[in-house]
Amino acid sequence: MDVELQAVSQGLLRCRYVTTPRVETAIYLALRLERPLLVEGPAGAGKTEIAKALAEILDTELVRLQCYEGLDEAKTLYEWNYQAQLLRIQAEAALARPWDTLRHELFSREHLLERPLLLAITAPRRVVLLVDEVDKADEELEAFLLEVLSDFQVTIPELGTIRAVHRPVVVLTSNRARELSEALRRRCLYLWLDFPGAEKEREIVALKVPDLDPRLAAQVARFVGALRKLDLQKAPSIAETLDWARALRAMGVKELDAATVRQTLNVVLKSHEDLETAEGKAAQLLSAAARS
Amino acid sequence: VRDRLLAFVAALREAGLRVSVGETLDAVEAVAVVGVERHVLREALAATLVKDQADREAFDRVFEAWFPAASAAERAGQRRREAGFGGDRGPGSEETSGRGRAPRRETDQADPTVPRGGQDRRRRRGDGGPVRRESRRTEGQAGEAEDAPAAAARRLAARARLLNLPFKDMGPREVEEADRLVAELARRFRRRARRRQERARRGRLDVRRVVRRALSRGGVPVELLHRRPRPGTRDLVALVDLSYSTATAARFLLSLVAGAGRYFRRVTLLGFVADLAELSIEQGHVVPHGPLDLDARSDFGRVLAALLSRRGATLRRDTVLVVLGDARNNRLAPRVDLLRRARQRVRALVWVNPDPPARWNAGDSVIGLYAPHADAVLPGGDLRSLERALAEVARRVA
Repeated sequence: MDVELQAVSQGLLRCRYVTTPRVETAIYLALRLERPLLVEGPAGAGKTEIAKALAEILDTELVRLQCYEGLDEAKTLYEWNYQAQLLRIQAEAALARPWDTLRHELFSREHLLERPLLLAITAPRRVVLLVDEVDKADEELEAFLLEVLSDFQVTIPELGTIRAVHRPVVVLTSNRARELSEALRRRCLYLWLDFPGAEKEREIVALKVPDLDPRLAAQVARFVGALRKLDLQKAPSIAETLDWARALRAMGVKELDAATVRQTLNVVLKSHEDLETAEGKAAQLLSAAARS
Repeated sequence: VRDRLLAFVAALREAGLRVSVGETLDAVEAVAVVGVERHVLREALAATLVKDQADREAFDRVFEAWFPAASAAERAGQRRREAGFGGDRGPGSEETSGRGRAPRRETDQADPTVPRGGQDRRRRRGDGGPVRRESRRTEGQAGEAEDAPAAAARRLAARARLLNLPFKDMGPREVEEADRLVAELARRFRRRARRRQERARRGRLDVRRVVRRALSRGGVPVELLHRRPRPGTRDLVALVDLSYSTATAARFLLSLVAGAGRYFRRVTLLGFVADLAELSIEQGHVVPHGPLDLDARSDFGRVLAALLSRRGATLRRDTVLVVLGDARNNRLAPRVDLLRRARQRVRALVWVNPDPPARWNAGDSVIGLYAPHADAVLPGGDLRSLERALAEVARRVA
């Protein structure tokens, strides 16, 4: 794979994903060493976006495996389409063909329901496989993932072993709801993705909401940055900052003041307790936002 | 370059990071790919060698010492040989002192490639060695004021720490915080127990409904229908040591188990020190029914005898028996024969030991005598291992 580090940063910029050298290096290495990339960090810092941007850079598809408790192998890898097989048997009854031929057709790709992992492995070109929120999955599944991610091959008893033609680019994300196993960590490259600093966030706002007054964009970024330092139940995500910026633009706000903040803060904070905390500190937050 | 990297890895290990051989090879490969431009080199090494943000700060420190900003690479090698890495790093020592030579102090501030404090979120894990824990705090880095760790990241770190913090190191405040976390873990245990049971019941076809549905499809059973899940058919008996050394672990185990009551036919909570008493959980507190001397010396042999004679009816073929105790029997008769008898009567016996595994069988611990009669003996000295142990219990339930 002949991607240069430069190309990665330019590509990310092209997909309007603002990064730091740290992120770029990690992505670049994941591509060059063909290793899965484990991205950890608080919710809403842009972990999933990395995979999306990566798919866009490589101009390929994104195959997403959303993890949750109770997710099992059948839902991640493959299942036989039992209903279709049955109907096929019924339809064949009149033809009376030899059983061996029929069996072959019954257990062919036609009746296989490919789930994300198998899809990623069998794809005709290199795809980006996003294993989202891997910490939500059970430990058993984690062990199974580890196995698949190390050889990128899958054995289906009826079909034999399927090996990846093109190793997918794998991105795993985790919120640390559960500690991941050492083995999985060792297998992956690691990237800690935190909320951006105020300056980076201003860049993001400027990029995604281009017609917002630059001065207001900076204020919004600083305000949210200060907000995240409060002890909130849920710190505002980058997406929420952007929502807020769009809301302010729609309202034709020129400058952040106490009244506007009170009116619109519910775009950023989604719980009553958090809103109260923030309103109590409104003056302090505003002065942090005004400082340049 | 490779030798240099290997030595760097050795220094990381000395600083308390766990770096595997595979990861070292990854790092070598990574450097071959990205070259030696300093800030890229730093991130490349971090991505391959640091698999937990909690270790990042220690990594940065070692990196600063080994690949100083201003100086040429050759000089760093020389400095390394002179300085060595055995220096003390007590809590008081500044991050840049102790190792390396003086010039680095100035270059730290001047060097624009040093990442800003904002990216160096510090996260603490309880299982780090004492060296790591002590040397982590470094204040006043450039850019700290603007990019101080966000509250969300801090909370995430606190949570991870709490999960791994041994019960015996918990203060009253931490126990209180852990209580909240336990409520969450209990929900997870509940879901797990339910899922296990649902999955176990999947094999049970509802033939009558399948046939009836098939009639409308020309007799082909296209849809398989299963019976509705029924409440659990297993009993759970938790037998916990409430003496001082295991009390915290016992309390957390009880709250975790009590929450899962619906998924068992019956949950019996029994506590003991020298005697046995039935327990209940009322508003988060353990309430014994009957006399229980908490200051007595644990006598598991006697408790087993009481369990079999007075509570024998609770031990049945579909009972999962969970014992929490450190098997420190104060040199009294262990009565292994009674444990074997109890095991024979139940479906499974899981022993959770809050002692750190390194201390099992040391001193008056006789866990090794009991272990052959348990289906599993699992550590339970912190919330994380306690949760693992309960996952094992859930596995035995199905």
